[in-house]
Amino acid sequence: MAGVSMKDIKLRIRSMESTKQITKAMEMVAASKLRRAQERVTHSRPYFETLYDTLRTIAEKTEDFDSPYLAERGGGKVCYVVIAGDRGLAGGYNNNVLKMAYAEIAGKDACVLPIGKRSVEFFRHRGVPILTEAYAEAADISISDCFSASKLLCKAFLNEEFDDIFVVYTTFVSILSQTPTLRKILPLPRTGKEKTGDPTCLTLYEPSSFEVFDAIIPEYLGGVIYGALCESVASEQGARRTAMDAATKNAEEMIGDLSLKYNRARQGAITQEITEIVAGGES
Amino acid sequence: MTFHLEIVTPDGVSFDGQAESLYVRTQQGDIGILPNHIDYLAALGMGQARVTVDGQTRTAACIGGMVSVSAGEVKLVATTFEWAEDIDVPRAKAAEARARRVIEEKKLTEEELRLAEARLKRALVRQSVGRR
Repeated sequence: MAGVSMKDIKLRIRSMESTKQITKAMEMVAASKLRRAQERVTHSRPYFETLYDTLRTIAEKTEDFDSPYLAERGGGKVCYVVIAGDRGLAGGYNNNVLKMAYAEIAGKDACVLPIGKRSVEFFRHRGVPILTEAYAEAADISISDCFSASKLLCKAFLNEEFDDIFVVYTTFVSILSQTPTLRKILPLPRTGKEKTGDPTCLTLYEPSSFEVFDAIIPEYLGGVIYGALCESVASEQGARRTAMDAATKNAEEMIGDLSLKYNRARQGAITQEITEIVAGGES
Repeated sequence: MTFHLEIVTPDGVSFDGQAESLYVRTQQGDIGILPNHIDYLAALGMGQARVTVDGQTRTAACIGGMVSVSAGEVKLVATTFEWAEDIDVPRAKAAEARARRVIEEKKLTEEELRLAEARLKRALVRQSVGRR
């Protein structure tokens, strides 16, 4: 019998089988977590979108720049909130979003607020200044954590520690597709369209635009971070489910190949034995 | 006459449809919004909100966020928005008692005190709205 012995093949089949069991179990866990995360995304998405759109419309319409949250300072210091997962084995999920953030950061005077263990490790390893490591566990961050993070960011923003804030996260498009996304959150993004000068579109702020923005922006920031987090968590589970599904399929394929080899080797051994017996009888 | 009202919270859409009036508590006090309101933006405080739909008024606990009117579209983006009938009053009472106990402990950091006070306020608002 040529090459590998039957025993070797049998051992390999057994190890493939246990790998398959693990990936299968991980896929099931990811699928059930995905269902919950998906529900959370569909619930939080209207809030997230309305908040973002309303604030942007208002920023576009406003004529005065009383609020520091609206004015472009034009400085070069940037802060990125980068949301990734806590664990690996999720296909390209962590890698895609971190690579995108790193490419953005390159060559800039930037600091990051990483959310998720992988994100923290990635930026620590590359020596990017980290604002705080308090949000290392992406899985159990609640909305109140998002608001405390937003307070921290607002305070630093008003102290002019940085001039722009971006959030980098993964949009949950569908179970099969997730895209890393970069969104500017502060100062409020404006499309730079020409003002129409229509006097009817004046907005009443109570008590003043400055105070309204002062009260709303921290909420807005917290809401946007929470929304991005929900999207990211769902994306992570989706990516993990797809990756584990592929791994299980590959394991099945390999087990099939190996079984074929094993049977061939077994048959070869039997044929050889028969030939030997026949040859022995004839002599 | 009605206007389009959308109420969203991080937990989902609480209301999306035509309403006749909306009363909410902003940080400056209660305001009422009727159809054809001027474009408007204010930050929400903590208190009761009233929405009138088809002549029927529903009340809710409404905490944090903002209310905006833009070209006749009213958007209430709240951190918490619970219809009175959905409020669990015993739970809010328990939360009140818990928050009061925490505040009575003397050794609290500023952050902990602030959180406990916010919890207490939320519990009180829920109770006052839920009882009616």
